[in-house]
Amino acid sequence: MSYEDYLAGEPLIVTAALTGGVHGKEANPNLPETPAEIGRAAAEVEDAGASVVHLHARRPNGERTFATERFQEIDDAVRRHAADVVIQHSTGGTGAPDAERHLPLRTDPPPEMASLDMGPLNRYDHLTSENTRGLVDSLHEEMVDRGIKPELEVFNDGHLNEVHGLLERRDLADPVYATLIFGPGTLTPPRPQNLLNAVDNLPDGALFNTLGFGKHQLPFATMGILFGGHVRVGLEDNVYYRRGELAERNAQLVERIARLAEELGREIATPAQARSILDL
Amino acid sequence: MTCPHLEYRDRADDRRFDEARAYCTVADRFVQPLRADICNDRYDLEHDRHCEIFLEHAGDEDRDEENDADDGTEATER
Repeated sequence: MSYEDYLAGEPLIVTAALTGGVHGKEANPNLPETPAEIGRAAAEVEDAGASVVHLHARRPNGERTFATERFQEIDDAVRRHAADVVIQHSTGGTGAPDAERHLPLRTDPPPEMASLDMGPLNRYDHLTSENTRGLVDSLHEEMVDRGIKPELEVFNDGHLNEVHGLLERRDLADPVYATLIFGPGTLTPPRPQNLLNAVDNLPDGALFNTLGFGKHQLPFATMGILFGGHVRVGLEDNVYYRRGELAERNAQLVERIARLAEELGREIATPAQARSILDL
Repeated sequence: MTCPHLEYRDRADDRRFDEARAYCTVADRFVQPLRADICNDRYDLEHDRHCEIFLEHAGDEDRDEENDADDGTEATER
């Protein structure tokens, strides 16, 4: 994908990362955590233009869980409120055993998409999300078995090597879909040239999604629009609307992207168009 | 073993929560969900190895004990 794809008018897939698993209501009381809250948020972001919702599951007190049953409750709530939106489960998680990382894939029906972290990343001062190749392969194998499209999460440029390595080890269904992530720490430094470099290093024919953490969410989403990619926004990645002002809703962040895309001449993809683009 | 500095509270500062949330009494703040995994020693996480807040506080306690010992020695020597 490239600037030429932007000029060609490829519809823009907006993914809304509604809740995440790192911070919660202690960071922004408007962040949805319960199945009912997530379901309502899904309806709002779908109305605002999101065609994909990226989901984590939480215990009633906001703490993370990988339990299939909790993902099922969330999916049921999302489908009640936003019947058409594409459901994407997270399989990411620091410290969780490999077996638990598979649990989000086992809902009925399975999610249409699930994240697949391409390698390790540091958390705080003493933690690393390992994401070994063995785990990546086993998660991918179960995704193939259950008809789930992997969303390859590329936290830094080394993970671009891992994308190519995964393609050498495994047959990934076309199109390959990678989320390029920018921010502090182990993430790719959030500089515009690094986005262009990452896009340039993707496999031929791959589609990309742009994710900037915190204050980088808006500018990197804008660049994603302009460089023919897709974008992810939401309270998982950024709890602010602007400096010092907490976002009121996930939909507020999606609405802003929809306005930007319209001004820049990029059509927002419907869920049906997203399914066609991603070949779900 | 759960971190000894962990409490569950439904209210702090100006905020109130329907479900009690993890609260770090050392940092005086609610604990983020990922950190709560560490507080509770879930999976293979251990608060006394992986939580920098606990480690920093433990370092303070060690230093306090050393200072107490030093004070005692000096007092004796005097």
